Amino acid sequence: MKLIVGISDMKIATRPDEELITYSLGSCIGVALWDPAVKVGALLHYMLPDSSIDKEKAEQKPFMFADTGVPRMFKDIYKQGALKERMKVYIVGGAQVMDDSGLFNIGARNQMIIRKMFWKNNVTITKEDVGGAVNRTITLNVGTGQVKLKISGQGEVEL
Amino acid sequence: MSRVEEILNIANHIPPFPKVAMQVMKMLGDPHVLPKDLAEVIRYDAAITANLLKTCNAAYFGLTRKVSSMDEALVLLGQDALKDIIIASSSARFYKGEAGGAGYQLGQGELWKHSVATAIMAKSIAPHFKGVDPGTAFTIGLLHDIGKRFLSSFVAGDFQKIMDRTYIDGLSFMAAEHEVLGIDHAELGSMIMQKWEFPEEMIEAVRSHHDPEALNKAPLTALLAMANTLVISLGVGVGADGLSGTMRGEGLKRFGITALELDRYLSNLLIEMERAEEMMTLSN
Repeated sequence: MKLIVGISDMKIATRPDEELITYSLGSCIGVALWDPAVKVGALLHYMLPDSSIDKEKAEQKPFMFADTGVPRMFKDIYKQGALKERMKVYIVGGAQVMDDSGLFNIGARNQMIIRKMFWKNNVTITKEDVGGAVNRTITLNVGTGQVKLKISGQGEVEL
Repeated sequence: MSRVEEILNIANHIPPFPKVAMQVMKMLGDPHVLPKDLAEVIRYDAAITANLLKTCNAAYFGLTRKVSSMDEALVLLGQDALKDIIIASSSARFYKGEAGGAGYQLGQGELWKHSVATAIMAKSIAPHFKGVDPGTAFTIGLLHDIGKRFLSSFVAGDFQKIMDRTYIDGLSFMAAEHEVLGIDHAELGSMIMQKWEFPEEMIEAVRSHHDPEALNKAPLTALLAMANTLVISLGVGVGADGLSGTMRGEGLKRFGITALELDRYLSNLLIEMERAEEMMTLSN
């Protein structure tokens, strides 16, 4: 079964026949976590790096921002028995429209914050596909841990 | 007939923009017009009437009580909201059908969703753009990609060629579109706007919405380019063309928008889109 993760959302899945999918990651970043021992997966689609721009919104929609969404995602997957040492970690997205004024550099800022957070917390990225100017869709198969990446206009590949 | 001629021929046969909408726009400028006069005109267009009732209760338009008749809606809605709803329901009919954006690898309804999101974004940032009316900003957001709707099947026919020019040769998707088809969606869109007799500044904004220099151009052109680029960045209704393209200029400084404000506009957009959900599924 497909579980769709919308913009500013996060879902956890524990059944082997489930697939987590998030569509159309432009500057946003999709984070996928999978623990092979307990076979639990999580997928997050965050939009902006920093929740300090709007604390109220961060409370309503914690998965809108990296700084509130990522810690919450890890907490939630730990509750399902996942362990940091075992987890596979994937990030995709963070694309941006080219501009010389830095006006539309949301993609780069979204990448920077997650690297910082992972570095601080000793989380290693297993695989990633970030940057550029493409639109991405990511799927995580909860039973097998297979992660598929689709770039629109091109095909689907295993990440 | 050459392909460009074939495309232009289609553009020439596009049905007119609903007369009722044009008439209501004119009437709204007249302070002596009464709600019942508006109702008389609107009733002639069944789709607009249905959509008016459906949409006016969207949280986005902020009515505090539920409206069930057109007369009631016309009294309670402000002129601005009324204008937005009528333009939205008049535009929606042109985006109908599966073919809407299939050539760009957009799913059904996604081109419309992108258009509504751009309209909402354009309206929110409008106060930063001197002399731009928020209603005009909303309208231009809804109609800026109308060219895609009619170019879609041609893009589908030459898809691989366009993608090769984009990925192998590094052209922007729209430049590749232009090279392969002889016309691009912005140019075609501006021709359609012209045929529909929209004002020159709107025609120009549609024509230049992917122009790398758009942020340095007329306020409405800059506004549309900025709103569209922000919505594309979020991936709302974005297809094979992805985030391809370039924007130059010091947009933020010129319009006095801070980076912090820009992030706020982006985070608001999602909430506003939820509040405007009724607009995503208008009848034709």
